[in-house]
Amino acid sequence: MDSIASSSKNVINNAPQEEQHSLSQSGPNFQLRYILSGHRRAISSIKFSPDGSYLASAGSDKLIKLWDAITGQVLHTFEGHTEGISDIAWASDGEYLASASDDKTIKIWSLQDRREVKTLIGHTNFVFCVNYNLHSNLLVSGGFDETVRIWDIARGKPLKVLPAHSDPVTAVSFNHDGTLVVSCAMDGLIRIWDTESGQCLKTLVDDDNPICSHVIFSPNSRYVLASTQDSTIRLWNYQTSRCVKTYTGHTNRTYCIPACFITTEKGKYIVSGSEDNKLYIWDLQSRKVVQVLEGHRDAVLAVAVHPFKNIIASASMEKDLTIRLWYEE
Amino acid sequence: MNESLINPFTLSHPTAVQTSLYAGALFAKFDPSGRFIATARLNNCAEIWDLETRAPIRRLDGHVKAITSIDWSRNSRYLLTSSKDWNIVIWDLSSTCDPPQRKSTIRFDAPVVTASFHPKNSQILLVVLATGEAYVCDTRKDHKSRVELLETIADEMEDEDSQGPSRSGMTTARFDPTGKNIFVGTSSGYILVFNTRTKIMIARHKISGAGTIKGLDFTKSGRRLVTNSSDRALRQFILPTYPPTPADVENQSHPPFMDVELEPTHKFSDPINKTAWHAMCYSPDGEWLAGGSADPAGHKIYIWDISNDGQLASALDGGREPLTYLHWHPSKSSFATTTNQGNILIWHHPNPERWGAFAGGFEEVDENVEYEEREDEFDIEDESVLYERKMKAEEEDVDIDTVVTGVEAAVLGTKGTQSGNMGGSATPIASSKARPMDLDKVGTGITDDVETSWAEEEPDDDVPGGWKMKIVMDNDASDYY
Repeated sequence: MDSIASSSKNVINNAPQEEQHSLSQSGPNFQLRYILSGHRRAISSIKFSPDGSYLASAGSDKLIKLWDAITGQVLHTFEGHTEGISDIAWASDGEYLASASDDKTIKIWSLQDRREVKTLIGHTNFVFCVNYNLHSNLLVSGGFDETVRIWDIARGKPLKVLPAHSDPVTAVSFNHDGTLVVSCAMDGLIRIWDTESGQCLKTLVDDDNPICSHVIFSPNSRYVLASTQDSTIRLWNYQTSRCVKTYTGHTNRTYCIPACFITTEKGKYIVSGSEDNKLYIWDLQSRKVVQVLEGHRDAVLAVAVHPFKNIIASASMEKDLTIRLWYEE
Repeated sequence: MNESLINPFTLSHPTAVQTSLYAGALFAKFDPSGRFIATARLNNCAEIWDLETRAPIRRLDGHVKAITSIDWSRNSRYLLTSSKDWNIVIWDLSSTCDPPQRKSTIRFDAPVVTASFHPKNSQILLVVLATGEAYVCDTRKDHKSRVELLETIADEMEDEDSQGPSRSGMTTARFDPTGKNIFVGTSSGYILVFNTRTKIMIARHKISGAGTIKGLDFTKSGRRLVTNSSDRALRQFILPTYPPTPADVENQSHPPFMDVELEPTHKFSDPINKTAWHAMCYSPDGEWLAGGSADPAGHKIYIWDISNDGQLASALDGGREPLTYLHWHPSKSSFATTTNQGNILIWHHPNPERWGAFAGGFEEVDENVEYEEREDEFDIEDESVLYERKMKAEEEDVDIDTVVTGVEAAVLGTKGTQSGNMGGSATPIASSKARPMDLDKVGTGITDDVETSWAEEEPDDDVPGGWKMKIVMDNDASDYY
């Protein structure tokens, strides 16, 4: 563990800035500022803590690394999963971190004690995605056993098991007040559930039924943003079951790549990784690609947006193994 | 937020038990957010349950005799418990240690019957003792006081030889929802109204035939009041508008007050068994009134439709264990009833499972519909034209930040309009949830501002979003409970 921590000293300040495609003058202008390395295998998930001071990353090397989001130092490496980790999530108070692993468990890690506090056992196959609700008393998870599970974290017990999909569940998330859960799966369906009753309230499906790889609610929970493996990201109005925006230009045919909302002083954007080793930023309203971030040397599988600063973090697969922090200048 | 998908237009009263919590409770009360329920346990401690996980999350151990009442501060940070051990205790639930620490303990000279927080400032407390006295305790630095609420007796000065008509004992007391006035029920069937700031009686209402007043409840607007009394009837009153307190009132030895008999708009009683009521509670919108029957042989709840002239809407049966308490959820169609075995039943209005929701693009219809084919339905169109049309439809701006409540979202969703046109109904995400609208809102006069600003001097630290219930990881759940 220590050897990994020491190998991550090559935190670069003022990294050589690679050529940027600034397609519009008024658009966003994110520039690479830090490169963090330390993971030994593909990085599957990175997340900023709710207060913005930490960045957590996890990958198929079974480790979770905690980075100082300001200085880029490795603060801690959490070890305990016996298989690779697919997703991590922060509790809203920043005190706990949940990780979903191929060892069929979810582990809860305490930031204060820097140790594992709970293991949630119940999934019968790989756990692929995990998220907290607003009050962080519930956790929702999905996996290759095609179920969505809602957990009571304090007790580590499952509250509900929803036989949600007919293929591996690729993403699952609460809305802002925790009353709804959205899930999507390789069966191409996006489903919205009532948290309290566990009832299915809505199913969204696109004409071509592409594999759906990621879904989140918009900040006000009136829309869902869904990434599908036909290299498309769609914003759905789930009330009317209508797709209101389509974002294209990137490449996404193989992996589950998340998309994020980002709001800066200049405007509102969508950001996503891509299998052509780049990051794409679209204008929310006009649907145009406004910036492409280049630098990674492999497919960009993980993207995170800082909760209040204009920072994008991205991480890549085997040939690269770096986390890059991009700052809006 | 989920209301918009569940069908927001079928608001109703609860009809079935959703869960029961084996809590060992004497009674149970929802917090103002509806996330928690506080219980007074048989073993003299209070317990907080998380309704999302349906599990106890905090135990408040401090009283040595039975807890008689529980009150939540307006943003749920503080909990006030009163007990037969002569104490009231204020607990701070934001404290990060478990069990939570008490913020303060106030001791009285007799068992405490009920205690409540001022609706606008949790540092002002209203306390009723078993001896029939009521006190307003102000714990603010500049107002520190403990004032007994004394009924003004008009005949006193004329009749100096005799002891004067004795004051009847106070049995229950509540702040009205604005906190401006205090309503006190007495053992002789009177409702006394006191001004909270001056502690002077401003009105006295005779409730004829009521006997001892056992309980009071207000609608959210404070316009209507329901009483429970020893004659086994619940009475609903529309409250008069009280005149503003004159400025010089504090110098008068016998300030004037309104002495009016109140006529109930409705009187609810069990016509057959004539059973008494243990508790009653309005629904959040004030359209329903639920009464918990004191029937010793069953668990019966009666629901009256107030908006429909007080008709009996439903009689619910919760099984064999007699009911001891009832409290309506602050925002949902749900209430909690407590049985004499200590179990809490959470009632809800079940939504039928819509299987059509599992199939995207399908819609369930109640009866067969003749399908009408659109003129252009099977026209073969140029794909590029279709694409262009789709792109055109996507031109419209979307609003991803403005939070709207469920019903509005449903309306917006079906119309496809933007929230920008919704005016004041849209709230930014950072602020607290919009309050449900009051159907019978009272106009606020200038005098209210005096009372409000008095109550809001030295504000407490119970601000919206100002605290969080820390999640306590419980590694040995079975040992602890």
